[in-house]
Amino acid sequence: MAGKRYIMNAGRTTKQGQQINVGKDHAEYQAIVGTLNMHPDDMKEAGIVSGGTVRVRSDNGEATFLCKEGKIPRGMIFVPYGPPTCRLMGQTTDGTGMPTSKGWEVEVEPIAAE
Amino acid sequence: MTCTLGEVKNRADFIIYWGGNPAECHPRHFTKYTIMQKGKFVPNRKARTMVLVDIRETPSAKASDIFLQITPGKDFEVITTLRALVKGQRVNLDLVAETGLTIEQLQDLVDRMKKARFGVLFFGMGLSMTRGKHMNSAAVLALAAEMNAFTKFVAMPMRGHGNVTGADVVLRYTTGYPFGINMCRGYPRFNPGEFSTVDLLVRGDNDAALILGADPGATMPQPGIDHLARIPTIVLDPKVTHTSRLSRVHITTAATGISAPGTVYRMDEIPLPLRPPLKSPYPSDEEVIRRIHQAVAKRPGWRPTLNGKAMR
Repeated sequence: MAGKRYIMNAGRTTKQGQQINVGKDHAEYQAIVGTLNMHPDDMKEAGIVSGGTVRVRSDNGEATFLCKEGKIPRGMIFVPYGPPTCRLMGQTTDGTGMPTSKGWEVEVEPIAAE
Repeated sequence: MTCTLGEVKNRADFIIYWGGNPAECHPRHFTKYTIMQKGKFVPNRKARTMVLVDIRETPSAKASDIFLQITPGKDFEVITTLRALVKGQRVNLDLVAETGLTIEQLQDLVDRMKKARFGVLFFGMGLSMTRGKHMNSAAVLALAAEMNAFTKFVAMPMRGHGNVTGADVVLRYTTGYPFGINMCRGYPRFNPGEFSTVDLLVRGDNDAALILGADPGATMPQPGIDHLARIPTIVLDPKVTHTSRLSRVHITTAATGISAPGTVYRMDEIPLPLRPPLKSPYPSDEEVIRRIHQAVAKRPGWRPTLNGKAMR
């Protein structure tokens, strides 16, 4: 990865927790886990429009998300845990049994609308 | 160096949440056990101070008296600085500046911790699943232990999901270890990183999987999910999950606590019996496992062989 790196912070939200119990096949769940939040200035700098699609790359894989502005510190991305974050997550546990689920370095690039 | 949530409710006048967002992830924690409860020795909200330490301003920050926003990945450095300040040792101000906090903020926190009558530090996945992992947790536990030279202070992990604490507790009292246990030799061996689920799946060490009340297909690293799809995977769950879709067999079971009885362990390891209000046409997890166990017991035992002959 050669572009600007952001720290990806995956976590839980109330809506995501509710939707897990409603059903992971619902469109609402897919939308929640497929949407990331960034600082508005970071989005402007990277040329991303609110609601636009972005490709996120980590050392382990890549996934696409919708990108929205959020109350997030600059240089950081927040996204609720879900199948897309599984593709980016660290694959080793450093001997702890627990994968690194937060604080990955990732690249973000906008995908032009077709 | 821990306690029950009942003690927190009745006694804790200084509460720290570190790397957790209870307003969203444990929505009943504030109201049932901490800041919103009237305790025996803490009559109201004003009698408690709540500090939130996190890398971003989460909805929990609104409920806090003090919010300390630290630089991502600097938890260990902040905890170590606090431990030094608690003991009155000198700290390097340049290194403190890298944490995103000032020495005045940290000294103020230490002073408040020492003045507390009963302090509690709840730590979440923001501490244990980020850089430093178990070393962060160990540092927090050491800080809580060292605070007891000045006042009563405890620490407790903010356990998530239904009954993960129960899995740890039951494995501990049956095998002596909480997770990452290998029973292949007939006795328990514990080695996180070798026998833990993520590591086994990512390396592809196991050739079958029984998934009980979990959805690794939606939560684990992708190579682990791919391996579950390659091997015979059996899922027991009340709902169809991502793991069900990649498994060979899905057995629908009754939902524990809703239509099946059982015991759930609260995050402070207090066991709570469950009385189901509804009946289910599906068997409970326990019944399915018991029937599988009985069927397996009827089959002849496996013995290792060497050159086609059974080994003794």
